[in-house]
Amino acid sequence: MERDDRPLVPAPATTVERPRAPTQTLVGAAVAVIAAVLVLYPVVYLFQAAFDVGDPNVRPPEAYGLDNFALLPNYAEIMLNTLGVAFAATVMALVFGFVIAWILTRTNVPMRAALEQLMAVPYYVTPLLGALAWALLASPESGFINQIARALGAKEALFDVTGPLGIAWVMALFEGSVAFVMISAVMKSMDPSLEEASQVIGAGRLRTMLRVTLPLVAPGVLGATIYVFAEMLGSFSAALVLGSPNRFYVITTAIYQLVSQYPPRLPLAAAMGVSLFVVMFAMIFLYRRITRSRSYVTVSGKAFRPRVMDVGRLRWALFAVCVLYLTMSVFLPMATLAFASLQRLATAFPKPGDFTLEHYRTAFSLNAVRSAMGNSLLLGFLTATIGIVLTGLIAWMIQRSRLPGRNMLEYIVMFPQAVPRLVFAFGMMWAWLVFPLPVYGTLWILLIAYLTVFLPLGVRTISGVLVQLDRSLEECGEVCGASWGYRLRTITMPLLRPGLIAAWLLIFVASVRELGASILLMGPNSKVLTPAIVEAFFSSSSELTAAMALIQTVVVGAVMLVFFAITRRAARHGA
Amino acid sequence: MAKHGRRGLSRRSLLKGAIAAATVPATARFAAAAEPRKITTVNGVETAADMAKAEAEGAMLFYTHDSDPAGAAIVEAFSKDFPKIKASYLRAQNGALYAKLLAERSAGRFAVDVVQFSEVSTAIDFRKKDGYEHYDSPQAKAYPAEALGSPSGYFFYSGIDFVGIVYNSEKVPAADVPKNWKDLLKPRWRNVISCKQSTSGMQFVQWYELKKIYGDDYWKEFGKLRPHAFDSRAQLFERLAKGEEQATILGEWAGYQLVKDRGAPVVFVAPPDGLPATPLATGVVSKAPHPESARLFIDWLMSPKGQTLYQTNKFLYYPSLRKDASPMPGGMKLTDYKLLFPKDLSEYEKAHPTYVKEWNGMIGL
Repeated sequence: MERDDRPLVPAPATTVERPRAPTQTLVGAAVAVIAAVLVLYPVVYLFQAAFDVGDPNVRPPEAYGLDNFALLPNYAEIMLNTLGVAFAATVMALVFGFVIAWILTRTNVPMRAALEQLMAVPYYVTPLLGALAWALLASPESGFINQIARALGAKEALFDVTGPLGIAWVMALFEGSVAFVMISAVMKSMDPSLEEASQVIGAGRLRTMLRVTLPLVAPGVLGATIYVFAEMLGSFSAALVLGSPNRFYVITTAIYQLVSQYPPRLPLAAAMGVSLFVVMFAMIFLYRRITRSRSYVTVSGKAFRPRVMDVGRLRWALFAVCVLYLTMSVFLPMATLAFASLQRLATAFPKPGDFTLEHYRTAFSLNAVRSAMGNSLLLGFLTATIGIVLTGLIAWMIQRSRLPGRNMLEYIVMFPQAVPRLVFAFGMMWAWLVFPLPVYGTLWILLIAYLTVFLPLGVRTISGVLVQLDRSLEECGEVCGASWGYRLRTITMPLLRPGLIAAWLLIFVASVRELGASILLMGPNSKVLTPAIVEAFFSSSSELTAAMALIQTVVVGAVMLVFFAITRRAARHGA
Repeated sequence: MAKHGRRGLSRRSLLKGAIAAATVPATARFAAAAEPRKITTVNGVETAADMAKAEAEGAMLFYTHDSDPAGAAIVEAFSKDFPKIKASYLRAQNGALYAKLLAERSAGRFAVDVVQFSEVSTAIDFRKKDGYEHYDSPQAKAYPAEALGSPSGYFFYSGIDFVGIVYNSEKVPAADVPKNWKDLLKPRWRNVISCKQSTSGMQFVQWYELKKIYGDDYWKEFGKLRPHAFDSRAQLFERLAKGEEQATILGEWAGYQLVKDRGAPVVFVAPPDGLPATPLATGVVSKAPHPESARLFIDWLMSPKGQTLYQTNKFLYYPSLRKDASPMPGGMKLTDYKLLFPKDLSEYEKAHPTYVKEWNGMIGL
């Protein structure tokens, strides 16, 4: 494809193309090589599997051909289902994310700080948990809402969450918070004087939001769109829990069928997976076309202090919007699960004898829960910490450097997002099994896997903020003689702080709740928690699943509170 | 619980069908175990494993298709009996577990000592790939020959999974209660009956066996009822218990027992035409890093201790094939039921692609 070598903003006359600092080239090359190895190494194995037409249980493949791809048209209806649900869910999630990001960063809504922290919670409610809670709430026959409605005289079910729209609704509720984190990181780095200027010349609040705010945060929103859409394509739990019983299937549930049957039809699953690369690349191509022709710089040398609009009494209405979203995505599902986890067999009207603590006793008695929780948190911490350094540098290379191959890098890092995790995990397993270092079966392989699959998440989040920074700020440092490392540390990183914190949190949470890669890659002494929770859903009971998931949520919540406390203190000291 | 099963059938006759498509002559197994092993009894478990070596190995790893709580319960009980051997487990769904195991072996990594599959066909394939270490357990004498695989000594049937009809007694009036498989074809069950997805090995056995009894039309008629298909056994039974569906054609005994324990209004029906059944297959893996501990583990699992755990632990609930096994929870014995095992395993395996295609078509996938 066409190379885009133009800087995002016209370079000031002071910056003449100088010989690149060796550290910059060195670090850039190292990061590019790491990213390429992490991603392309397993991708090679995926392609190998997709073209494998021999005995699927024999590796390396005995014969190659296109047979697997020839079978794909059989799944056209499922593909359409998937795209339909993903599209509907993405639109809903972006509306949730954008509206609430705008409310929380731009208006004087009450309890802003508390709401903002709560907004991250839906994301670390594992998707399975959300689906489970909504299945308990709004299944046509036994859903609590419908049971209550019937008790009050309703003849028909009030809500049915098991249709395509129900699935999209549940997916959007929980991904809405990712969209929020990505978009609000961008909004926070935006100079509010532009909005003020709009209002000064007579534009209303809505007009300002649509005509000034929205276009300015466009790269962030677009980045979030691509990311969220890809997440929706690969989303599994909601479709599995809500869709399958209703005979509604999407590509991930179909792939799950393929990999879990005996003998597993991995080659066909791989062919389906790599076909999704095409969809993803088309989207990135589009993203680049839209963003490259304009400047999104809002953070420049000119000082600004983030200020919020006084929206008067409207602020209570906006407050209600946030609370409503949080109720749907956090409070109601959590309360439902807590209520269910205390019963032998969950129902809306339990008798006193139906309550039990048995599920919690079982959960705590499982070694899997005790040791796996520690592993999950450790991995989350390591993945997030190493991840933001890695993805930050990659984002910087893609958006800022003039190093060769940086455009290619943007496509490469999106690979893991394009393929459902269930399939990508096989690529990683095959790849790291034969790797000469003994990482397989240890926590290290999970760390490698998480770093790989969360590259897109980190790069998208940080890039969205990075494109808003005026290049001249770094160039100013360069002119003053600061080295590249020094500029990065003292100029770029402090300016990027909201984006970096958002990325750290997202990666941390994503790691803790990771499922697809963990199932295949964990070893007997390196177990993590989420697969055990999902397993409980498959073979034990929803109530035990709810109990385990609530334990996970409480622990992760506590860790996040500590993290917030630390970052806030650091910010205060830094200020 | 409703009893409709026939009594008085021996395990031997029940299990004849489960004989593997044997190609290796019976003498071959003796060649593998040239030197007779010394048999000792440790902690009430008769074993031919070398205890000193097993304790020196000090560890063993068990791969299983079963759930996490099940895997945890098994290794915990084993370690309680043999505290010097640190047992651990790793679980994955049968297909993924096998893919992982084969990938590890082809990459030259041998970490696992004992493996349990939920389907005999997986075990047969693994034996063909020389995946098992031959071991004649002294516990074998307590089992019918059919439960030891054919040729024997590579894997044994560590438990049985079988299915009847389960219905919700609050939603199904007495007049509608199904008594045999054919009763489930009535239009009454349209949109209120469940089954499993094509990934389920048990579902495959049922498809295969009922087709043999009733012909191809059975499943065509069943498909017209628009059955709801599940991957998760827990979800299938919970929805049944709550009345989202009113009956299931795949009423797995273990799943039924678990939800019944929790007070669900469900009833198990054993159709007189027979109950499709499938064994779990467990064996010592070749090139195991802890071979003596692995043998000890197999002996323990085959012993009354291991089998009692399999029968009574709520995350397992697998009836035992031991001749001296005590009754299952609920008081029934395996011999109370007419179990249907696929007789010709090679024909059975060949039918798999047809099954997947037909089943997926039926459930709308």
